[in-house]
Amino acid sequence: MEGFFRLDWAAFWWFIALPCLAVGVYQLKKVLKADREALPLLGVTGGFVFILSSLKLPSVTGSCSHPTGTGLPAICFGPWITSVIAAIVLLFQALFLAHGGLSTLGANIVSMGIAGPLAGWGIYRLLRDTPINLYITVFLSVAITDLVTYVITSLQLALASIQLILPTTVPVSMAEVVTYFLVYLGIFVITQVPIAILEAIILVLVFKYIVQLRPGILIRLKIFPEEKIMTARSDA
Amino acid sequence: MMLRRYRFEILSIIAILLFSALFLYTSSQMGTARFAGTDTVVSSEISKITGIPEEEYRPLVWQWVPPSSEIESALFALQAATGGIIVGWFFGYWKGLKERG
Repeated sequence: MEGFFRLDWAAFWWFIALPCLAVGVYQLKKVLKADREALPLLGVTGGFVFILSSLKLPSVTGSCSHPTGTGLPAICFGPWITSVIAAIVLLFQALFLAHGGLSTLGANIVSMGIAGPLAGWGIYRLLRDTPINLYITVFLSVAITDLVTYVITSLQLALASIQLILPTTVPVSMAEVVTYFLVYLGIFVITQVPIAILEAIILVLVFKYIVQLRPGILIRLKIFPEEKIMTARSDA
Repeated sequence: MMLRRYRFEILSIIAILLFSALFLYTSSQMGTARFAGTDTVVSSEISKITGIPEEEYRPLVWQWVPPSSEIESALFALQAATGGIIVGWFFGYWKGLKERG
């Protein structure tokens, strides 16, 4: 979406993204130092961000979009560390694939790396200590992360296009922002619904493998209560 | 018993098949669908709304653009392969640890 953000908007999103990235880098150092088993978990959950965000899948609207994969690291490490993983992938895409330029990178980090994962992480935190099955929690959290990413992208573009029509400091009409937001939402989110569901099912399967192979790290990082993980483990 | 044990594998396969079927249905019903990226679709929507042609939107920072879609898909494949190697490496490490006990 290069070129749609004027300098002020590009700077605004960078301004939000940078402190989150700083917290993420700090937390990442801390968690990797505290537990040697955190690195493989980071690799597995972060690796899927690389894989899934490169797959542009056809959808019901006759256009293509890609899953984000950021739900799983959001559950395991929280939204700030996830923003660092997303920033690495988005930087690669900005440098070599012309998918969002360097000025747009801040906005992309906010939608894919911060806002989406924050929403998914919120759902996970709400459901973690309830009797709801942990796989259902993972499913909902991953799907919400994916969808909210594109809701925020639509919002960012709606705000930006208002600025483009009124290039001076004329007050922005709320009605216009809402109209544009809904237009972009219609394109992005409808395309995204089947992709988000597919992504969530696949990442539930990945989470099952993590539960089976390495339940210890999930318990130590308090990702889910021990009894829930043990139940899920004996179940499958 | 087997069905319960592998329920997520089965569910994943069903989901992929349904997703593919949905694509086949969509592409057969929508003769004009080009399956372009949503960002391309939204880009043209923005230029429609703003009345500014798409070519006039230029990135603020100079940007390298892959010269062809072949090169672009090679770079996307590289990204996916990198992720695949990382995931496979650590799953293999875990599997090795588990088997050694």
